[in-house]
Amino acid sequence: MSQEILPNRWKLPDLGLGVGLRTQHFRYITERWPAMDWFEILSENFIDTEGRPLYFLDQIAERYPIAMHGVCLSVGSTDPVDFEFLDKLRALARRVKAVWLGDHICWTGVAGLNGHDLYPVPYTEEGLRHMIARVRIIQDYLERPLVLENPSTYLTFASSSMPEEEFIARLAVEADCALLLDVNNVYVTCRNHDLDPVAYLDAIPYEHVVQIHLAGHSDNGTHCIDTHDGRVIDEVWQLYARVHARTGGRATLLEWDAKVPKFPVLQQEVGKAARFREAARVARPAAA
Amino acid sequence: MSLRNTPRLETLEHWMQAVVMHPEGAAAGVRSRPARKLLPQAALDLESVVLPSRALSSVGRLDIYAHMYYARLLEILADEYPTTRQILGPDAFEGACRRYLQRHPSKHRTLNRLSERFPAFLAKYLPRGNRGGFAVDVARIERAMEDVFDAPRAEPLTAAEFAAIGADEWQRVRLSVIPALRLLRLKYPANDYMNAARGKGRPRILRSRATFAIVYRRGYQAYRRDQDPAQFKLLTALAAGKTLAVAVRASVGGRRGNADRFAAKLGGWFREWAAAGLFCGVERHGAGRRRR
Repeated sequence: MSQEILPNRWKLPDLGLGVGLRTQHFRYITERWPAMDWFEILSENFIDTEGRPLYFLDQIAERYPIAMHGVCLSVGSTDPVDFEFLDKLRALARRVKAVWLGDHICWTGVAGLNGHDLYPVPYTEEGLRHMIARVRIIQDYLERPLVLENPSTYLTFASSSMPEEEFIARLAVEADCALLLDVNNVYVTCRNHDLDPVAYLDAIPYEHVVQIHLAGHSDNGTHCIDTHDGRVIDEVWQLYARVHARTGGRATLLEWDAKVPKFPVLQQEVGKAARFREAARVARPAAA
Repeated sequence: MSLRNTPRLETLEHWMQAVVMHPEGAAAGVRSRPARKLLPQAALDLESVVLPSRALSSVGRLDIYAHMYYARLLEILADEYPTTRQILGPDAFEGACRRYLQRHPSKHRTLNRLSERFPAFLAKYLPRGNRGGFAVDVARIERAMEDVFDAPRAEPLTAAEFAAIGADEWQRVRLSVIPALRLLRLKYPANDYMNAARGKGRPRILRSRATFAIVYRRGYQAYRRDQDPAQFKLLTALAAGKTLAVAVRASVGGRRGNADRFAAKLGGWFREWAAAGLFCGVERHGAGRRRR
């Protein structure tokens, strides 16, 4: 835990503690304006619609920083890049003054179809070259770094020639993209593939990490599923503490998408992160 | 795996998609013709493509994705079509949804349009008869509710803007309707059924009877209501860009008695539509369209 602290190379701000913005809480937020450092939106929920979600988002974006996080950019897909979709992302980012926008290290469909799920890529040289090229094209078009998240994965391709964390590290460095490190996904993936989460975290290039995700998951015994339907387990908090010690503070966000509780429960849960952040600060007075 | 047998990224993605979207699960997907054509070796030795874990077989790991694909999309369809689901029953509804997703897999980045062809699909898929016909009409209303929810915004005409239309101008003006309006000509009293279904108990499936419903968004709330047949015809003509005079003529037919009855109702209909915020622009004869 005594390794060097690495600020992110874009000097993007540590936004503090935030939660994913969900429809169930629109009214609560816009009536009470609760204490929360920032919100993350699921980009696709606000695209191709001019209905109620956008009405609330406009108000919320006036008062809180907003980060955009998507699920359908399909960076790893071998289909052509969808520039029309990028235009929509860019327009939404401008509208809500997004501090950054991103998606996942995955693909979601080919042949013009969309599975609306995060499918893993094989961790091969071909897969890496393909994804680096795509990320560069998308970043050039959007004129900002993409913030890409490590997904939870449930299978390993036999053709993979490198560990996931090496693939991610090389992608971040060679494509010069930012990373959203989901520590719950690290835990889930490592459980599903019998890997060591600490070794995984040690391989991450922290100067590329601008955001951290926390969430709950389901443990099915034979495997874990990233269900975002409960509290963060202790093992994941320990991983968070480890990441925090390396980064010295990154925008931290709690995802809770199923069995969504009342807003104060989210505040309380993400508030736990403050203890780990404070503990790291006390243990590191010279760096404060 | 030898380098010679390493599948290319494109092949692997097409193969995995064929497997996880297979309606009978991953094992059937691996054996399916499209998957075998893409990666024949996977059907013979799946572990040469997907590694097993300590606890799960290769096909078990693929099945996680296959299960999630249908589970996620079925949940969305059930959310969007609660009354259709109630009419058909959960099992028949899920069966219809699975067939729909096979016939019309999502081609969009957002989920807003996932079910846009569902009512038309049900019309072909369900057996003829009152229950099926009723379900189709209810599905059309539920889909329209989704459509208007996402439709572009437009400011409705205010009372002052209506009042500014001179008495001598009314016959010649064209009114623009808001984008968040759908006009539905139905074969069953589906809207009545949906109102009844919101209460306790389960309403009866009624016999075929032509009804006319509008679905629209006012502010950020979607509404639905039935219309008198002549009222519906008039609103349809106005929505098609006809002047009020032409729309009235088309709705009344040629008979004088009809016109008198119609004229008596006209004011009330316009007040109802204006209160619902259905009009967003006025085009006067020879002038441009305003406030579209």
